[in-house]
Amino acid sequence: MGTSNPVVVDENSLQPYFVLHKASQPPRKTSGKTKRRIDLSPLDPHKSDNGSVEDLDCFGMCLQTFHFFWSKIEVVIKDVMREINGDVFDKIGCWIRESFDAMSSCKVSDLSQATNSYPLLLPASHLALSKQLFTGLVCTKNMEFVDDSPTFTELAQHLKSRGCHVANLSSLDFYEKNGTSNCLRNLLRQFLMGSTDAADISSLASWYHEQDRYKNPIIVIIEGIERCRESVLSDFITLLSEWTVKLPIILIMGVTTIVDALRDILPSSTLQYLSPSKFVLGSPTERMDAVIESVLVKYGTCFCLGHEVATFLRNYFLREDGTLTSFIRAFKMACVQHFILYPSGLAISGLLENKYSHDLSYGTIASLQGSIVKQAFGLPSQLRNNQVEPDGDIFHDLTEIQRHWHLWSSLVMCIYEAAKYQKTTLLDLYCEVLDPQLYKAEASGDQVASRYSGSLCSKSHCLLGKHPSLEMCGSICQAARGLRDLPAKELWQLLMKWSELTNGTSEVHEKIKELQSLARSEDRMHLSMQQMDMSNIHTIRGNVISGKDMAKLGEQAARLAGCMVWEYMQPIECIPLHEVICFKNVDKLQSALIGDPRTRIQIDLLESQKFLKCSCCRENACISLPSIHDTSIIYSLAQEHGDLINIHDWFQSFKVTISKSGMRTKSRLKQSQSPSPKKRKPSNEPQKISEASIQARFCRAVCELQIAGLIRMPSKRRQDYVQRVAFGL
Amino acid sequence: MEQHDIEEDEFGFSRNYFLAKELGNSGKKSGHKLADIDVVDEEELREALANIEQKHEKEIDELIKTYKSSYQEWVCELRCGFGLLMYGFGSKRTLLEDFASTALTEYSVVVINGYLQSINLKQVVITLAELLCDQLKAQQKFTSRSLHKHQQPFDSRSMDDLIAFLDQHHLEDSDSFICVLVHNIDGPGLRDPDTQQYLARIAACSNIRVVASIDHVNALLLWDKKMVHTQFNWYWHHVPTFAPYKVEGMFLPLILAQGGSSQNQNISWPILMKKARMPVNNLYATCRERFLVSSQITLNSHLTEFKDHDLVKTRRDTEGQDCLYIPIPNEALEKIIKDTSQ
Repeated sequence: MGTSNPVVVDENSLQPYFVLHKASQPPRKTSGKTKRRIDLSPLDPHKSDNGSVEDLDCFGMCLQTFHFFWSKIEVVIKDVMREINGDVFDKIGCWIRESFDAMSSCKVSDLSQATNSYPLLLPASHLALSKQLFTGLVCTKNMEFVDDSPTFTELAQHLKSRGCHVANLSSLDFYEKNGTSNCLRNLLRQFLMGSTDAADISSLASWYHEQDRYKNPIIVIIEGIERCRESVLSDFITLLSEWTVKLPIILIMGVTTIVDALRDILPSSTLQYLSPSKFVLGSPTERMDAVIESVLVKYGTCFCLGHEVATFLRNYFLREDGTLTSFIRAFKMACVQHFILYPSGLAISGLLENKYSHDLSYGTIASLQGSIVKQAFGLPSQLRNNQVEPDGDIFHDLTEIQRHWHLWSSLVMCIYEAAKYQKTTLLDLYCEVLDPQLYKAEASGDQVASRYSGSLCSKSHCLLGKHPSLEMCGSICQAARGLRDLPAKELWQLLMKWSELTNGTSEVHEKIKELQSLARSEDRMHLSMQQMDMSNIHTIRGNVISGKDMAKLGEQAARLAGCMVWEYMQPIECIPLHEVICFKNVDKLQSALIGDPRTRIQIDLLESQKFLKCSCCRENACISLPSIHDTSIIYSLAQEHGDLINIHDWFQSFKVTISKSGMRTKSRLKQSQSPSPKKRKPSNEPQKISEASIQARFCRAVCELQIAGLIRMPSKRRQDYVQRVAFGL
Repeated sequence: MEQHDIEEDEFGFSRNYFLAKELGNSGKKSGHKLADIDVVDEEELREALANIEQKHEKEIDELIKTYKSSYQEWVCELRCGFGLLMYGFGSKRTLLEDFASTALTEYSVVVINGYLQSINLKQVVITLAELLCDQLKAQQKFTSRSLHKHQQPFDSRSMDDLIAFLDQHHLEDSDSFICVLVHNIDGPGLRDPDTQQYLARIAACSNIRVVASIDHVNALLLWDKKMVHTQFNWYWHHVPTFAPYKVEGMFLPLILAQGGSSQNQNISWPILMKKARMPVNNLYATCRERFLVSSQITLNSHLTEFKDHDLVKTRRDTEGQDCLYIPIPNEALEKIIKDTSQ
């Protein structure tokens, strides 16, 4: 392992910080129009130590493509969020305008008075109104604060675009330590744009009355007031309320729930200054579904997730993290990993979509094509299907994938429209429709799958509502079954929506049109019955006919939904060459997303021989060999103790372990029936180890366990014991 | 079934804890004393410590070398905007500095030694700002007008201003950044919440990328979701090295060296070593900050022992304050520091 200069490293190791090196040259600019050879093969970690320059250049170009792709995704996500928040933001905008008008009624007209560095004293009649702070409570519906933040940043942008002066404060600004000065300083920094040492609100008043700024209100957004220090928030509000006449400040506060949010946090003396209005944001689930729809279903032609990855992300979202931010981050991680595995996969699929063909030369496109043909032979889906001809038009196959994806995504949305009536989330549905096993089982006539799929396509028990267990059915089944009981109006609207979604996909669109025309005629019939009903003729019979017809129509819609799924929605993983755009390595993603130091560090210690692969320590050794890493030995020995480890005993056990003679080791090896005890090299341990050395090794091993946080050092009360911290993996 | 597994896992944790407790209480609790160990002379112990022959040196080198093949991937992840977080047993100092020295030559790299007891983060940020400024000058992006705007020298600016400077979109090329390499981001010098918040803010700057290592099993508790997902934006890598924690463990007590009470003396001396003179109050504040002593009385008892052995002396400074100093020439002190680092 060659570090540049070991002496320098040692000198630097006691410096709190140091500059290791300065940038050697400006980072290499990689042109998209490069004519270098493009290697499409997955990056082989064993190919070279550092990667050749050529690889790096190719990498650079692909990285550029990735950045291009990801910036598009970011725009899509931003648009989705804007759309979800749009209505609430508009409402907030209108409320601000109204509040500002109300505040303007008792505004100070005299500039000299306004810029005085003290609050204005008003007659008692104006006092009550003048101290009121208009406050918008934005309910985030228990959204995690990490997801709130972009929403409030977006809100600030929205209000700025309407001319308001906006500043965002977070709960970190409301620390007890600094009182109101911290938040005030941050506020001034955002408005005055310069360095402000003094936390003086009068400077804000002076600033506000310059250059026509007074024509618009000042908005202060406080994200997540539940996490703010109550006393600091209260003082801050009191301070602002004293300045409302000079400074028309409107507060916007993020709260997780509306009910009693303020009353729980602020004292009544502060509450009296607030004039609250309530606004409610979309729920985390709504946001998640909107993102999945836009990013994974509609924009998935360049990159998509395999079933296992999607299921992992779903479970991670629902059970562990619960934030949209981490979901998007995980998606980006998956994208990066896929791009590392198939560097030009994104470029190829992007080319097919004509998304960035202008960035690449014809030479590059040709080399991409050549490389992918070469690579295609190695793809598991190709080996399975044996479909690629050496001179086959791989681009044609890839175009087929794209075409299939377009049909698939529109049909997923159709099923989702139906599933909405069952309150199924798109996240659940998405994971289900990606499952290749179910599809393969259906194709091979598997009984379980047939029952499952039959529920959609045929007159099975499930469809007729006689399925023994509703849980046996997935979201698709429930959605289709729900169509049977759907009222005429909703069913009609659904067909309209289906027709709209499948426009351009001849396969299903015609069938929907047929159903629509059938519905239209049933509707006419129903209408005529209603007319008959009005004239009191065969009233009861008329309703019965109508109900039966509707059920029939519902059943046909359910069958159509089944056909959509089983005839046209082949999961991406069942299609040859899908590896180019589909990321499936769930283990890699999981290890990059969720580090598990607690378990992994313990496993490192307990199974050190597996990592070091030395010849002297056998793998899976259940006894402590003297040659094993010292810290591993003492950690293994620690497992035999309770929550407290007697240092004396621990040391003696360690001493015995590392001093084991060759004879003893051999006899133990015989006992444990090692397959090749003769091949084992003799231990490296010297026959006699000095006491000082044993003690030093013990000290260092304990010290390393302390660094890993696995033990707590002796306390004054228990000087002879260390405490175990981790129990089990 | 999966739900069942999760419950089983959760149950497993608590069960293990109580089993360990039970084992500790039910069985015959060993009454052996630490003093029963015939501990060798401390000097001999330290000498032996410095001369420990490393086990599996070759295998450890081989293991570390296998990570070289991932360097390109790591650079790619950094360039995609992630921060790299390395964990696993063993010192990762050599590995990370080798990675930075060989694969990040295009970028300026600043190393923070988080295992040290005290780190002035503002100084680090000033250095980062200066590096960025140099980089901008080199790229001729810093026009005279923008220079005028940034007339105030970096060392007189507030932390917020400096972080804002690091976050500005000066560089048109988003692929240009300064890399901050933090050894032991969970180390004693960086462990407090305020420092972690600052580190997270630095990591979130558009011109900065962070590569960090953790060693503590509970390091995750240092961060909230915002820090993990949006600021540090960690990309985890499990890279056990099994390399000895030579420097990282330097300031930690030796469990066999004269019992528990003397352990802290082992730590407070290095603080003094780095200062020419230090008022008693300042030393107390620093030691307390680092959880070395909890009261002035404890510190005094340590100092008395130091004074008895002439390791520390007192002198009154110009302001009349009692200042402590180590009566050893600077060169000798430097040598001690160097020796203890090996």
